[in-house]
This record gives sequence, structure tokens and C-alpha cells, in this order.
Amino acid sequence: VTTQSLEISIAARASHPTRDALIALIVGNPLLWLVLLITLIGMATSDYYLSAQNLQNLMRSMAVFGLLAMGMTLVLLTGRIDLSVGATMIFSIIAALQLMVLIGDVTHIKMVARGSSFVGPVTPFIALALVVGGFVGLVNGIGIAYGRIAPFIMTLATLTGLRGLNYVLTSGHPYYLQTPGYVWFGDALVFGVPISMLIYAVVFAVLAWVVGQTVIGQRLYAIGGEERTARYAGIPIERWVVLAYVVSGVCAAIAGVLFTARLKSVDAPLAAGYELTAIAIAVIGGTTLSGGRGSPWRTLCGGIVLAAGLNLLTLWGVSSWTQNIVVGIALIAAVALTEATRRRAARP
Amino acid sequence: MRTATGELSRLGLLVLLIGVAAFVSPGFLQADNGRVVLLAVSTVGMMSIGMTLVLLAGDIDLSVGGTAVLATVVGGLLIPTGSPFLTVAATLATGIGVGIVNGVCVALLRVPSLIVTLATLGIARAVGNIVAGGQAIYPNDMPAYLWFGRGSLLGVPVPILLFAAAAAFGIILARFSTFGRMLYATGGNLAAAAYSGIPTTTVRLTVFALSGFFAALAGIMESARLSYINPAGFAGVELTVIAVTILGGASLTGGRGTIEGTLIAALIVGVINNTLNLLGISIYVQQIVTAAVILLIVLPDSFRKGSRA
Repeated sequence: VTTQSLEISIAARASHPTRDALIALIVGNPLLWLVLLITLIGMATSDYYLSAQNLQNLMRSMAVFGLLAMGMTLVLLTGRIDLSVGATMIFSIIAALQLMVLIGDVTHIKMVARGSSFVGPVTPFIALALVVGGFVGLVNGIGIAYGRIAPFIMTLATLTGLRGLNYVLTSGHPYYLQTPGYVWFGDALVFGVPISMLIYAVVFAVLAWVVGQTVIGQRLYAIGGEERTARYAGIPIERWVVLAYVVSGVCAAIAGVLFTARLKSVDAPLAAGYELTAIAIAVIGGTTLSGGRGSPWRTLCGGIVLAAGLNLLTLWGVSSWTQNIVVGIALIAAVALTEATRRRAARP
Repeated sequence: MRTATGELSRLGLLVLLIGVAAFVSPGFLQADNGRVVLLAVSTVGMMSIGMTLVLLAGDIDLSVGGTAVLATVVGGLLIPTGSPFLTVAATLATGIGVGIVNGVCVALLRVPSLIVTLATLGIARAVGNIVAGGQAIYPNDMPAYLWFGRGSLLGVPVPILLFAAAAAFGIILARFSTFGRMLYATGGNLAAAAYSGIPTTTVRLTVFALSGFFAALAGIMESARLSYINPAGFAGVELTVIAVTILGGASLTGGRGTIEGTLIAALIVGVINNTLNLLGISIYVQQIVTAAVILLIVLPDSFRKGSRA
């Protein structure tokens, strides 16, 4: 593959969608039809499905998992994986809290009251959490891109290490985050829409633009599509891989803020296994583990399907164990179908 | 492909660690402690042998924890029959069954093993909990079952014997059998192996079935040792097992690694955790240390190979 044909294929994949293409994108998207189906079944079988309360709950859970999956999507596009998102999500909050306590010791500002209640200023706290999340992503990215450690192993190690650190930093007891400014991120509604959903929408819009319309997205697709070709085309792969991991870390930190603001507390064992749900959302959306295929838009759809489906099962009173079985089967079926259609399409 | 240098450097590290352990903690070299280390690694070590075989074929098995839960619970339901044979046979058969489901989805439906076993991990765990009604099962009335975790033969605890037998089986299979050569070929280059007439589908199905079998056997050992079949057990064990296997030199891209390496890696992790235990260091700090050790060992390897993945 020459550089020129590579550029053309990239341009074709990331080209600006016209209005017709946009309509085709929506009409031709089986996931959206699935959401419609779920909604209709939900309306038919439960009076509660379309209630404001239920939709708000649906959006809140969608936002947290969706943010993890959005960051994951960028990493998956490069053909890599980030298993550390669940641990990073909690670690960024715990580390930011401990950093605030350290700052408080120096500046003589009281940050923690009654041993475990955070009472410090909210803005620097959240800013620190995002920085910590980005830093974890930076470490992952550098280890993988420059240290040449396999992504699975590197992020497995940070997952294990951060889980341990979470316990060590909290001494195994929860911290309460009940400052009004912080709780706002978990509870506030804007015209009836949870603030967490709005934040998720903004992150999605930014990432969809970056991936779909900018050179950054073209580079990510090129790296995931055929890494060696991308390298020969002169793309500094290491830099873009690090960037993808940093975005994933920051997304995880944002998810951590929204999650803990809703719970009004943070505790080391929280969010265990969330990395798997994040991967599931991206993959159900159609993003592949082998890289180069997928988009934030698809991940958004995957997240909506999963959240709506699980919400409906909950309303039906289906146990969370049975829901796990449904998720598992849906995951395998989604990928098996994608593989089958791809093989059929590849046949002459 | 089967170089001895990796094993030798890992063996050197193990000896070094034992030296350090003996130096910082006088209790380490007591005869009884050796048994403690081996007992502690037998469950994870058993699963790691199955995982190594799967990795050699170029796949991965994230479902081992879920498989162990489902298998021990299904076996546990037969405890009221009073037949240890039925109980153990049902447990092992369930483990093999989950493995075959994994293998079919991976080799025939061509779904990436990471996705398949991620899904079956959740499914097996969920089915296990539903079947058990969320309740633990106590095999206290079945001494033959407890023997798998607490018994001993000629003074050697049964879990250690089983672990050793599994390791011997794995070494013979991977190093000295025709199947072993087909396994390395399949993991090295799937398409080339298939064109060479190697039954790659059978090979992949077999390693997943073996991984399920070892996970179920490890499940029996652990449940018998605790005399407690726990539907919430084995949480996160898949990551420890993969960490041990990678530490042992197996590659996620397949075709590279040995059972011997995995064995040494299991002992390395066992010695580290045991030493930290003897020094009274919390399990959470142990997690951090384990993570650091993995990166320290994998980093120079990855530079030598000079490529990603």
C-alpha cells in the first residue's frame, strides 16, 4: 500500500458526511432500530419506562459507562486496549483527595472533616482528578508506545497496581464527598436532563469531531488499520498512541467524578469490572479489537442499546445475574454477526 | 521458540528472590514454609497451566474464574447424593463444557477469544450464582471431596501433588507430543498452520477444554481447602493467572512460551507474596509489588524482541 492510497482510504473513511450520508447513517444503523424496538417494548410493557425518573436513571448510568467506553474507543481504534479504566476512575478521585489533603496541610486549609468527609474547594479537586486520570493514561501510553510493553499487560499491571494503591491510600475505608458543589454533578438536572448526561454529550461531541473531522482521527485510523504502513508513511505512532491513552485516562477521571458525585462517597473496591462493560459497549457498537474500525458515534449507539436494554430488564424485575447472562450473549452475538457480515462482504 | 535462556534468567530470579526472602525474613527457610508457598500457588498455578496452553495457541481465556465458580457449584449440587465420584466428575465435566463452548465460539464462529471468554466469564459466574441461589455450599459431609484440598499422600499435600501432576502433563504435552508441535504451529501462524494441514480448529478446541478442566480442578482444590463452595469466589483470578503466565514468558500473540516458564513464574509470585506476608505487609501493597514485578520482568523482554504485542 502506497502512502497515497493510504491517505485516500483514510480520507474516504473520515470524510465529512453529507446530509444524505447522515440520514443513511441513522436509517442504516441496526443499533438505533434496536433502541427503538426496546423503547416500544418498554412503553408497551411498563408504565414506568418513559417516566422522567426512569429516563434520568438510564441517562446517569449511560453517562458513566459511556465515558469509559468513549476513551476506550480511541485506544481500540489504534489496535490497543485499556484494561485500567475502572481502576483509574476510582484512583483519580482518591488520589485527588489525598493531594488536596497534602495541599491543605501546607496552606492550612481544612480539607477533610470528621476524619473522612471532604470539605475542601470543589473546582481544584475536580481539576486534580482529571490531571491524575490523564497522568495514568500518560504512564500507560509511554509504557506501551516507548517501553514496547504489550498493551494488555501494561494496563493489566496498572489495573492491579492502582487497585492496590486505592486501598493503601484510603486505608480501606470510604471517604464522603457531600460538598454541595460536588454533589451537584451527581444530582443536578438541566431542563430535566441530568448534568452527567450533558457532560457525556459534550465529551462525545468533542471526540466525534476530533476523530471524524481532524487529522488526529485520521492518524488513529491509520495506525489501527495497518500500523506498519502508517509507520512507513511517516506517522509518529508513539505520540498518537500516548494521546489515545491520555484521553482514555481523562475520560475515566470524568466518569469517576460523575460516579462518585452520585454516590456522594468514594471507596477503593468501587467500579470493579467496569473495564469489561466499557469494552462490551464499544464492541457492541461495532468497534473492533483489532483496530482501525469503529467510531465514537458507534460507541454512543452501543452504550444507548446496552443501557436501554438493561434498564428494561430491570423494570421487568429480571435479576442482575440474568442481566449479566443477556449482556454476555449479546456481546458474542454482536461480534459473531459483525464477523459473518464482514466475511460475506469480503467474498468476491 | 522454546529457548532456555528465558527460563534460566527466570530461574536465576527465583533463586535470587529466595535468597532475599531468607535474608529479610528468617522464617522463610523453615521446611513448613516451603509447603505454605506451594499450597498458596497451587490453585493459581493449576489455572496458569491451562492458560499457558491457550496462550500458546494464540488465544486467551478470561473465563477461568467464572468456569471455576460454575463447575464447583454444579458439582456441589450433587453433594447430597453422597457420591464423591459424581460430584467430582460433574465438576470437571462442567469445566470442560465451558471450555468447549469457548472453543466453539472462538474457532468456529471466529469471535475473538478476548470477547468470547469475557462474555462467558460473566455468563458462567451468573449461571453459577443463579443455580446456587446465591448461597454457599458446604461439602463438610463429604471427606473424599475435602481430601482434594486438605488431604495428603506420603506427607505431601494433595493440591501440591495435583499441581505437580498437571505441570508434568503440560510439559509432556507441549514439549514432547505431536499435539505440542501442532499447538506451537497454530499459535505461531494460524493461517500457515491450517494450510500445512494442521487441524487448528481441533487444537484450539482442545486447549480451551483443557483450560476449563484445569480451572474446574483448581476450583475443587480451593473449595475443598476452604470446605466452602463460594458462588462469589475467584473474583479477578483471571488477571492473576494471566499475569503469572505472562511473567513466565508466554506471549499474548501466541506460539511463544513454555509450561516450565509458567511454573517458575508461579513460584516467583508465590515467594514474593509469602515473603511480604511474613513481613506483615498488607495484601494491597502486595498487589502493587506484583504489578511492579510484572512490568520489571516484561520490560527488558519487550525491548529484546523489538516489536509491539
